[in-house]
Amino acid sequence: MPFQKKGPPTLAQLQPGEQGRVRAVSGRGAMTVRLLEMGFVPGVEVRVIKRAPLGDPFELRLRGYHVSLRRSEAERVVLAEAEARG
Amino acid sequence: MKALRVAVAGNPNVGKTSLFNLLTGSRYKVGNYPGVTVETREGGLRVEGRAVEGVRLVDLPGTYSLTPMAEDEAVAFRALTGADVEAPELVLLVLDATNLGRNLYLALQIFELGLPVVVVLNMVDLAKDAGVGVDARALEAALGLPVVETVARTGEGVPELAARLKSMAGQLELMEQRLVPAPEGGVLARCLADMGGDGPRQRWLLAGRAADRLELAAPSEAERQRVDGLDEEAVREAMAELVGARYAEVDRLLEGLGLGADAAESRDANVAPAMATSEKVDAVLTHRVFGPLIFVAVMALVFQSIFSWADPFMGVIEGGVGWLSEAARSILGPGLFTDLVTEGVIAGVGNVVVFVPQIALLFLFIGLLEDSGYMARAAFIVDRLMARVGLNGKAFVPLLSGYACAIPAIMSTRTIASFKDRVVAILMIPFVSCSARLPVYTLIIGTLFVADERVFGPFTQGGLILLAMYGLSTVSALVLGAVYKRTLLKSPTPPLVLELPPYRLPRIRDTLRHVWDRTLDFLRDAGTIILAVTIVLWGLLTFPRVDPSELSEGETAIERSVAGTVGKAMEPALEPIGQDWRIGVALIGSFAAREVLVSTLGLVYDIEGADEDDAPLRDAMREAKDPETGEPRYSPLSGLALMVFFVYACQCMSTLAVVRRETGGWKWPIFMLVSMTVIAYVAALIVYQGGQLLGFG
Repeated sequence: MPFQKKGPPTLAQLQPGEQGRVRAVSGRGAMTVRLLEMGFVPGVEVRVIKRAPLGDPFELRLRGYHVSLRRSEAERVVLAEAEARG
Repeated sequence: MKALRVAVAGNPNVGKTSLFNLLTGSRYKVGNYPGVTVETREGGLRVEGRAVEGVRLVDLPGTYSLTPMAEDEAVAFRALTGADVEAPELVLLVLDATNLGRNLYLALQIFELGLPVVVVLNMVDLAKDAGVGVDARALEAALGLPVVETVARTGEGVPELAARLKSMAGQLELMEQRLVPAPEGGVLARCLADMGGDGPRQRWLLAGRAADRLELAAPSEAERQRVDGLDEEAVREAMAELVGARYAEVDRLLEGLGLGADAAESRDANVAPAMATSEKVDAVLTHRVFGPLIFVAVMALVFQSIFSWADPFMGVIEGGVGWLSEAARSILGPGLFTDLVTEGVIAGVGNVVVFVPQIALLFLFIGLLEDSGYMARAAFIVDRLMARVGLNGKAFVPLLSGYACAIPAIMSTRTIASFKDRVVAILMIPFVSCSARLPVYTLIIGTLFVADERVFGPFTQGGLILLAMYGLSTVSALVLGAVYKRTLLKSPTPPLVLELPPYRLPRIRDTLRHVWDRTLDFLRDAGTIILAVTIVLWGLLTFPRVDPSELSEGETAIERSVAGTVGKAMEPALEPIGQDWRIGVALIGSFAAREVLVSTLGLVYDIEGADEDDAPLRDAMREAKDPETGEPRYSPLSGLALMVFFVYACQCMSTLAVVRRETGGWKWPIFMLVSMTVIAYVAALIVYQGGQLLGFG
């Protein structure tokens, strides 16, 4: 990816069909707590299923269910490995 | 004997409402929690159609957790701990058997409270079909709690559940608080120690602080000091540790249930057993091309239903009101009392009931879309557009509905979780051109413009002016919404974090029951205000009464009424926007509903039945001359100014009555009335004065 941001990889960088293992949820406040409680805890695998027709939000699968997050929200989910696996 | 109070708790989309309806035989009271707009329902237990004395059920809002992040979670926690209503003696915890991996998180939080719990394993049929069936006895052993299997959609297992609850009345003991232990030596343990010990209340306050929503947790002064004393970064880490510990416990439970392998598969994001079919459906419904097309088609259907399918029903209601008025008139004979009954009371009741078809249809569709799971997909598709205003995708349906009528649209904003965002949507909706503005636009265009003149191609002057009014109203609603969101009702764009639940067949009975609840709610709360205002308006247009022989040439009775006097007094303010006192009177009358402008102008110009056929009124208005200058009284420019005024003005008492109902006070309706009137006046002033400067009119 040409314009990839520096720093640890986040969920927002994954393409549909790719998945990654959660390392942490960054930031603070209600959004961070909500993500943790919806199951984005360290060690969990999250797969990107698709993007909405307008490009945002994402549809994700984790812990046996599907959830939709905006890009700005997915950026908070820091992944463990730099390489995404298909 | 004191009744056993049972709180029904669970995640959204787990069939909680169906179960509650089945257990209460759909006989419940709808109420509100003190101070918030979260709805509660409470009813007695019924077995096979007969009331069971001594067991009452309270339905809590469906939530994923009890952490105070929005009103729903705060209400659920406060209700369970008896903060402002009496605490329940028993919790009926509804779990979706197809997705224990997420459902058990809330379960663990509830176990921490130490209340006796009966676990309902719902949708066991779907779980078996999906190959993730769990043995109820094994779950019972693992949790140490009674577990009852149900299929709420068909009612299977519900009689057994009811019998169980009945047998438990009067013999319950508190169980111990089962706190998922804080990891030893961790930040969580340290924070809890700093707060004076570990317990559900301390954990709740810590979570409230971590979420920046401590005010929702309503801490005491001493509690606030302790929580505020904690280090910011420590709170953040402690919360992550707490959630992590709970999820680790969930995984341990699943392992013990023999779901370890499935759980591992799920944890690796390889499968979502309950979603197998839904994923295939979503391949079409949220497809990059078909998704938006289907979305537009579904929204068009919803819109069409309130815009035109409600029409025949509204016609019947209007006809009935007319018939009733005639009947009353013939029985009572002519006179002031008869006028009060027919033009005040009966017309007022008609003004209320006439909204019922639109409300019922909109809530029927919303109910079906929500319960089937499509509403989440609709929000998914349209979220990006709504995020620009600062709202999330769920605000789309209420705004769209506003083009038909603001009343049902404002009522439907309840799907928006945050109160501030709800108020933003509520303030936007009346700017959207509703169907009641159409007769006003039509009258003005037909009177003062050459409506049929071709401008270019198939487009006529009338059509283009109408389009401009709708465009102006849409842009204004979006811009003002964005402004309110960033100023008065400033709050971050609400997170989406939206579950895309499996598609399921809605239970029609539950949907219809919901429609009925909302309609009754409207009739009871907003209806009384609308009725009262109709009678007051009738009084303003009727008193003081004059004998027809006292009227001078060309004068009508309405001119001498309070409304006529006020209209004349308003004339200096109306002149700068190109209007006269006659329009002023009509504006007062049309506060009942915008389209009443036409019939009130009919009264002013002494033309009967103007609301049926406005051609004679158009002629009268076109021919009206200013007695001093001999110029025509109304010009195309003054007509344009009046239309722009109607785009913005809150000329609708019913809207205000519903806003009062939905926001729980007079603050927002008064703000709405004042701000919209000011904006309308200024906009009309700019149009009229600007137009004159540019040499029009």
